[in-house]
Amino acid sequence: MEYVSPEGLRLDGRRPMEMRQIRAEIGAVAKADGSAVFEMGNTKVIAAVYGPREVQNKSQLIGDQALVRCEYSMANFSTGDRRRKQKGDRRSTEISLVIRQTMEACIMTHLMPRSQIDIYVQVLQADGGTRCACINAATLALADAGIPMRDLVTSCSAGYLNSTPLLDLNYVEDSAGGPDVTVGILPKLDKVTLFQMDSKLPIDILDNVMQLAIEGCKAVANYIREILLENTKELEYRRGV
Amino acid sequence: MVGLSSGEKQFIQGGIAQDLRCDGRKRLTYRPIYVETGVIPQANGSARIRMGATDVIASVKAELGKPSSLQPDKGKVFIHIDCSPTAEPAFEGRGGEELSAELSVALQCCLLGGKSGAGAAIDLSSLVVVEGKNCWDLYIDGLVVSSDGNLLDALGAAIKAALSNTGIPRVQVTADASSDEQPEVDISDEEFLQFDTSAVPVIVTLTKVGRHYIVDATSEEESQMSSAVSISVNRQGHICGITKRGGAGLDPSIILDMISVAKHVSEQLLNKLDSEIAAAEAEVEDDES
Amino acid sequence: MLHNKSFVKKTKAGKVMKQVREHYLRDDIYCGAPFCKVCDTSAARLSDSASTVLVLDTNVVLNQIDLLENPAIDDVVVLSIVLEEVKNKNMAVYNRIRAICSNSLRKFFVFSNEYHRDTYVKEMSGETKNDRNDRAIRVATQWYQSHLGDAVKVLLITNDKENKRKATEEGIRAETVESYVKSLARSDLLDLVVRPSSEDVDMEEVEDLRPSKRKVIYTEHKPMSEITSGLHRGIYHQGKLRVNRYNPFEAYVGSESIGDEITIYGRTNMNRAFDGDIVAVELLPQDQWREEKSLSIACDEDEDEDEDVHLAPSSADDAPRTIPQQGSIGETNPISSRPSGCVVGIIKRNWHSYCGSLEPMPMPAGSGGVAHALFVSKDRRIPKIRIQTRQLENLLDKRIIVAVDSWDRQSRYPSGHYVRTIGEIGDRDTESEVVLIENDINSRPFSSQVLACLPPLPWSVSSVDLTNPIRQDLRNLRVFSVDPPGCRDIDDALHCTALPNGNFEVGVHIADVTNFVHPGTPLDEEAAQRGTSVYLVERRIDMLPKPLTEDICSLRADVERLAFSVIWEMTPEADILSTKYTKSVIKSSAALSYVEAQARMDDSRLMDPVTTDLRNMNSLAKKMRLRRIEKGALTLASAEVKFQIDTETHDPLDIGMYQIREANQMVEEFMLAANVSVAEQILRSFPSCSLLRRHPTPTREMLEPLLRTAAVIGLHLDVTSSKALADSLDHAVGDDPYFNKLIRILATRCMTQAVYFCSGDLSPPEYHHYGLAAPLYTHFTSPIRRYADVIVHRLLAASLGIFKLPPIFRDRPQLTSISDNLNYRHRNAQMAGRASVELHTLIYFRNRPTDTEARIVKIRSNGFIVFVPKYGIEGPVYLIPRTEKGGGEWYVDEQQQKIKKMDGSLSYSILQPVTIHMEVVEPQPHRPKLQLTLI
Repeated sequence: MEYVSPEGLRLDGRRPMEMRQIRAEIGAVAKADGSAVFEMGNTKVIAAVYGPREVQNKSQLIGDQALVRCEYSMANFSTGDRRRKQKGDRRSTEISLVIRQTMEACIMTHLMPRSQIDIYVQVLQADGGTRCACINAATLALADAGIPMRDLVTSCSAGYLNSTPLLDLNYVEDSAGGPDVTVGILPKLDKVTLFQMDSKLPIDILDNVMQLAIEGCKAVANYIREILLENTKELEYRRGV
Repeated sequence: MVGLSSGEKQFIQGGIAQDLRCDGRKRLTYRPIYVETGVIPQANGSARIRMGATDVIASVKAELGKPSSLQPDKGKVFIHIDCSPTAEPAFEGRGGEELSAELSVALQCCLLGGKSGAGAAIDLSSLVVVEGKNCWDLYIDGLVVSSDGNLLDALGAAIKAALSNTGIPRVQVTADASSDEQPEVDISDEEFLQFDTSAVPVIVTLTKVGRHYIVDATSEEESQMSSAVSISVNRQGHICGITKRGGAGLDPSIILDMISVAKHVSEQLLNKLDSEIAAAEAEVEDDES
Repeated sequence: MLHNKSFVKKTKAGKVMKQVREHYLRDDIYCGAPFCKVCDTSAARLSDSASTVLVLDTNVVLNQIDLLENPAIDDVVVLSIVLEEVKNKNMAVYNRIRAICSNSLRKFFVFSNEYHRDTYVKEMSGETKNDRNDRAIRVATQWYQSHLGDAVKVLLITNDKENKRKATEEGIRAETVESYVKSLARSDLLDLVVRPSSEDVDMEEVEDLRPSKRKVIYTEHKPMSEITSGLHRGIYHQGKLRVNRYNPFEAYVGSESIGDEITIYGRTNMNRAFDGDIVAVELLPQDQWREEKSLSIACDEDEDEDEDVHLAPSSADDAPRTIPQQGSIGETNPISSRPSGCVVGIIKRNWHSYCGSLEPMPMPAGSGGVAHALFVSKDRRIPKIRIQTRQLENLLDKRIIVAVDSWDRQSRYPSGHYVRTIGEIGDRDTESEVVLIENDINSRPFSSQVLACLPPLPWSVSSVDLTNPIRQDLRNLRVFSVDPPGCRDIDDALHCTALPNGNFEVGVHIADVTNFVHPGTPLDEEAAQRGTSVYLVERRIDMLPKPLTEDICSLRADVERLAFSVIWEMTPEADILSTKYTKSVIKSSAALSYVEAQARMDDSRLMDPVTTDLRNMNSLAKKMRLRRIEKGALTLASAEVKFQIDTETHDPLDIGMYQIREANQMVEEFMLAANVSVAEQILRSFPSCSLLRRHPTPTREMLEPLLRTAAVIGLHLDVTSSKALADSLDHAVGDDPYFNKLIRILATRCMTQAVYFCSGDLSPPEYHHYGLAAPLYTHFTSPIRRYADVIVHRLLAASLGIFKLPPIFRDRPQLTSISDNLNYRHRNAQMAGRASVELHTLIYFRNRPTDTEARIVKIRSNGFIVFVPKYGIEGPVYLIPRTEKGGGEWYVDEQQQKIKKMDGSLSYSILQPVTIHMEVVEPQPHRPKLQLTLI
């Protein structure tokens, strides 16, 4: 299968180093403390943050820091074939865990002891890269909720098909069976906080692919900053500051 | 979980009694309704409805299936609702299942008619491809993204909008259907069947708070209700289904009164919804061209 | 700019899914004209001064690819939508057009119109996919015209009448292929133009000259939708059509749905299907199933085809198809139980171009220079092909290449067009070239990129090689090689040292080709493509360039060479105690020929060290061989012949059987042992990506012809296992000394050939090599002339931790495709070798009519097939003149496999020796063939 034409175009018309169109919106769930929608091409997720609030299950209370919890769920209609998505299957448990760990690493939990922060991410449409989109949405939602963070966390994936490193795989490319490298970074601190890869990849190529994914993360970070800035300006305007 | 102080409770109840609700509405006024269609491109039809802070998405997926042997001339429709934890932390894990089931059943009874499929709001016989052999199965999925009361009405409206947004591929039966086997079907990429959704009812839920009943209750108002009756009414003014929730008993005469009120309200709601759907559809087409 | 495409897809389970894909439209796709002021011209491909730019319609690419490959056509824009359509319709053409586009000498530019903001078109409602694509092509053409301005003429080339009409209406310049080619005033190009079938634009001169032929001959092919539903319901059966190489009127379709082969008799039932086409077949009613018709030697219907004399087959892959008879031998069955059927539709065509010549015909009187001729392919499975030509005179005595274009119901033969001329018929070079083309063998000189990968000459072992820790210095060993006389590509050498403990150290040293051929280089890719060296009678087509083959890698005497060694310690009983693998440096002390080695061993006066080593090795080899045979290895035989070639004229001077000596067997034994040892080693390290070689166990059906023959002559063969077969072959001794060999030859040709495979694709029991009775086998010992060995060298090196495994080994599908290619190349090389021998046999007998002894191997209703051991050929001898049909004088006794004269005066039975006369006759000018007659 030809995933990159000799003219250097991918199946959807992107060039290998190009990301899909990204779009973000803050405040999609009115009742949550913070929420955001994040789209990468046809992948669309909603994240809502509740907290910091009282710990619901006292046995989970942590004396010197906040408890961060995360649940990932997929809507029945989010994939091409309609399937009853069982809650709490292995895949969503794993992704929940990945998102929780990634976000926990940048939330300043020590500032909010004995409290709980819930992050809920809901996939409305899946077209590859849901993991990245969830993390990006969660970052925005946390920022919207005003939860103190060390830095933003942004994420992007990259793959390697037809001997070409490709940024931000969509579903077709993702299901080609090639390697899929998901990276999450703290853009300001320039640190990698999430790194996952499936399939085999020679080490020298991995370096290129990872660099590409990091570039993608940085681009996402720039966009997210812009959105946050715009949102803040709007809030200022509404308050009449 | 809505935690209210007793002062707040009284304020809500008092407002309703005086026909001036907390958000300034009258008892029988809806919140503004925003309709967006085609939000899930992968589905055959979809819509998102927002009423205040209530936000729901409905999608319709069509799959080729086999009609049941009891109703060989009818297609099948399945309705399933999910409550996302984004709407309410209480929906986390299996927490939303009870409400989801309740909403699913209520919608089924309002839209799908009896067990035999008779009296359904959607014309089930239009879903048949080859009688007794092939039919379309419609899977209607609702998702509550954000909740601030009146989920049933919102979901009903979202499903109606999603259905009018639905295009089902035109199917051509290639082999003769006389044989016993499943006929081969050819599916066209270009042509779509549009649904006639004019017969699809809207749902009006009247929530009884104190001695009065209100439409489109917010979750704060719902927390003060004694019972609620959901009535689905179609364009002809016919009642398509009724469900009652809540513990308190109702006087039968009040039910009849509620029905006539619902009929009256439904007319406005239908008009409002139809014009919103039309506008949303027009917008989608604008986007495409 | 973003746009979502959505379409409906049916999944395998019959579910319908709506698919949505993003589709980005761009503004950075350039036009490819170097003179363009607006676009980025760094990737421009069109010529600087292009005055006319051609835009091709899909049908032009699909049908006129031969024309497009001609360098006269240039400055062409190929749209991505066209490529996509071509890819969906015909992968072979797609690869060819892609090759033209990437050829830097051609000025073909690919314009990604589907992703360009201004040329992307959306499907309109009610528009079919085809109409939409046609419109996309027109929009792109228009865009080019307005983009490049009036200085350049942008021309849409289409043979689609409707598209041309619409283009003209929209103000686009459009022409048909023929009118464009005519405007170039190159009459030779016109022969390359494919005549359109009826639904396309009418070209002048298409009127058929033979109106009487316009009657319907074949039944219509069923529409695709009907075929799919028929296949679904089990009325039709899908499979690949295989035409009998020896009787083109008989074909087989292996059908998975009925788990059997369906036989198709006659061109009418084949219904225009070609060999290799994927077809849909409908079974005939059972009372129409016919018994094997191939009982008579060829000739069917009204066509005049006959069985030629050919080289005797050496395996089941070369042999004529024999249908396994169901039921036991002798059981008479009036109606065949083998299903027969007829083709109702063709799912995928396997048309390509064919080598052959025109049927002799008189020059037509004044038909405007255009003549209709019939082309006869060398490959007998292909029907005659009708072509039009303007150069008939030139072509009549030439070997030419012709491509097939269409075959409609009204014509008996398919129509095609002339592609190119190879040379004169009968000329040895031409015919050799034909052999190469027919077997898809690349005989072009190596490209400069490939040659650039070679180390500088003169090359010698450097101190770096000697100090390299991975390489053992074995120059002190007494290594020597044994090969056929005159061998220059020596890839194996041996040594044998007696150890103080009474054991022997035996080493097999193989040329270290992978030291020079590195993965991923052009040299490696070329070798992988070629797969093997090809040995023709008068020349050799190398897999690797000559400096490597004959010098740097060749383990010649008295020079230091790099090798990959397998070293065993063996007891005098030839039991392997230990095996060691290492890269090494060796210095061969002698390059012997088989004859020399044999002579040394036989000459008891010689006591020099090399001779002693030879004798030690020979005694070990004999024990190894015995042990192998005890395990059930088959001693197979084939009639290999050898030519003596005149060095000046390259004509054959003498022909004779290839003699096998003990020395050959000795070398072979050690090579087998090395291959087995290496196979074990690489499979241990890489259980899922090793390249191995297997020989499938022949099924009872395959051995049926052998058993039938054996039964007639009263010989009992036990075929339950290879061991049993080997034993019964050993016991098959008749009165005459050649009998045993003959039976072995007959047994050999019942078996298929061994094949390469990737270990991950099969389960371990399937790895078995039947002929060698070895559970594991691979090829390691000839890396100079076989690419499989190169791969195995890399695997072995990686298993020793010397080198990293190249990334290709991680890609299973690609590995599988490599082994498929190796099998294909290997097989083609063998076919080419055989064809070359056949060709030289013909040349040899041209002036030498000969009488010789032959054996009857098959009985036919009008004669028999004989095998001539001395020359290794096989051919028909007719008892009844072929013009007389079914002359009643002779009858066949099938049970006894005899043909008898009615009056009982004469009878011939199978395996009977007969004396025949061999002579080259020329029934038609330029069509010489060898004829066998009974004396």
